[in-house]
Amino acid sequence: MARSLIGPRIRSRRRALGLTQASVAGRAGISASYLNLIEGNKRNIGGALLQRIAGELGLAVDEIDGAAERRLLGDLGELTGEPLFADLHLSRASADDLASRHAPWARALITLHRSWVDRNRAVNALSDRLVHDPFLADAVHDMLTKVSAIRSSSEILESVDDLEPAQRARFAAIVGAESRRLSDVAQALAAFFDSAHSSTRSITPVGEIDDFIFERGNYFPALEQLAQEVRAAAAMPDDGRESALLAYLERGHGVRVEAHPAAEAASLGGSATADYDPASRTLRVADTAPPAARRFAFARLAAGLADRHGAIAAEIAGATMLTSPAARRRAEHVLSSYAAAAVLMPYEAFRASAHAARYDVEALALRYGASIEQACHRLTTLRRPGAEGIPFGLMRVDAAGFVTKRFALPHLLLPRHGNACPLWALYGAFQAPGTVVRQLAEFPSGDRFLFVARTVEKIRPAFAMPRRLLSVMLACDALYADQTVYGDGMDSSSAGPAVPVGPNCRLCARRECVYREEDPIIDA
Amino acid sequence: MAVRILLAEDDRHIVETLTFVLERDGFGVSAAFDGEDAVRQLRSSPPDLLILDVMLPRLNGFEVLKLVRSDPLLKSMPVIVLTAKGQAQDRRMAEEIGVDEFMTKPFSNRDIVAAVRRVTGPR
Repeated sequence: MARSLIGPRIRSRRRALGLTQASVAGRAGISASYLNLIEGNKRNIGGALLQRIAGELGLAVDEIDGAAERRLLGDLGELTGEPLFADLHLSRASADDLASRHAPWARALITLHRSWVDRNRAVNALSDRLVHDPFLADAVHDMLTKVSAIRSSSEILESVDDLEPAQRARFAAIVGAESRRLSDVAQALAAFFDSAHSSTRSITPVGEIDDFIFERGNYFPALEQLAQEVRAAAAMPDDGRESALLAYLERGHGVRVEAHPAAEAASLGGSATADYDPASRTLRVADTAPPAARRFAFARLAAGLADRHGAIAAEIAGATMLTSPAARRRAEHVLSSYAAAAVLMPYEAFRASAHAARYDVEALALRYGASIEQACHRLTTLRRPGAEGIPFGLMRVDAAGFVTKRFALPHLLLPRHGNACPLWALYGAFQAPGTVVRQLAEFPSGDRFLFVARTVEKIRPAFAMPRRLLSVMLACDALYADQTVYGDGMDSSSAGPAVPVGPNCRLCARRECVYREEDPIIDA
Repeated sequence: MAVRILLAEDDRHIVETLTFVLERDGFGVSAAFDGEDAVRQLRSSPPDLLILDVMLPRLNGFEVLKLVRSDPLLKSMPVIVLTAKGQAQDRRMAEEIGVDEFMTKPFSNRDIVAAVRRVTGPR
């Protein structure tokens, strides 16, 4: 839905409730004439005022500004981009119709599609694994060899009548020995499949968490409150010095912090820089961890230990869209990261700093001793009603283009599966590692966004390990560009030059684009 | 004089049972437990038939087969490939290099003896 429908939607809802402009305006703290201008689309509104008017009309903000419907349309767009449906000629017009008239059916379709994509990926992964896994190949070879020896021996025992007693004993011994070894191989195989099962990661939980974060506006008051309590208890100065957190962990919770040798750090698993053993109250931090990662680990643990009332658990328990244990586990990690960021970058101070620094991410990271990614991430959470920062979306990809993190923006479609448009600054950042790449991007719809991307390097505990570069991108509506350092010298008006981009090739209406790799499926 | 077979197979129990079965059928059998040993024996005392496992240590069965087919003195020797890898691509590779019979584990003693008789011809 276009933004120009906000005014008419307010008017029609107000009339449906039988309320006058004066009464709604009065309760929302504005004049009736101003509400009249808003309803006539003569004034653009957002933020706290939109929240208040929506509240008076008994609606959620995303219902009134159409964000929920746009998101549904965006998701349907991906579904129509599915090659499986190529012959059905699904159009945007019919998607609009479905989303507006039969929203629950549209959601059902999207849920089914996600689940189908998820299963496909799992099947492909399992199939690849079955074909290429060296353990399985060895185990199968071993089994067949042992079965051959057993079969050959037992055939001799069965079919040769004149066997010497010593020969008979010998072949019986081979059957016995090879049977025992075969049992060992079978047990190892069973253990392999057990562990393979427990480490199989469903892909669907990522989508569920996306929805959870989006629905909550990526702002969690209870966790902000928890972070404040940790800061107060630790008497933390604004710059989030490590020593205060350390002292709080040691004195307040009896936690011992140990440096974990770099050589063993990799064994902590994945990109983990720290692990906590609750039994011995020991936090082991990789001695290669950069200061920002150390501080983040301290803050995460401090928030977790201070969360006596179960703020994180309560958020998860209240989230009906988190359907699987995997999704809830992942959500717990996401929320504890949120709390850690809130401890290190307290809301009000960080918002003021962001405003003063005009959202210069590198300056903010330095000011708070955070990593670039942590600072970007915290910017996306400045959504407290009445005290918002610029609404930012965020996307993170690895060098292969795999999306490893995403916070959607209501107007910006971030592809849920597969790659985005290769022209996005997100990918351009890999061409100049460590440099901020900015871009004014225009979508086929005419929507313009400021993209700000930079690569970050994850620690590698050893020289021999390959570099791990990720690209992190902040995105905001071009309307906000002039409030940031990244808009300086850039004409963000609709008349100014912008890079023509799309969501991705399949969903993009720019048929003439020379960067196109796949045909578009949706009718323009 | 008995037909002489070199059995290149790293599993000692399979060597033991096949040797028993083939000797009982009148063949002379010697064994090699890795690829290098097989090549050494092939060159020092060429047998009438080679039974060759694919997953051999040191030199694998396909490498041994290539050496056999490129050696002027050995290239016409009949070879039975015996493998736990029964996939189509292994069979294709064996056939491309040149093989007389391709048998997958687990095999039956009867099938092995039949294959050996087919390859060595009437005695």
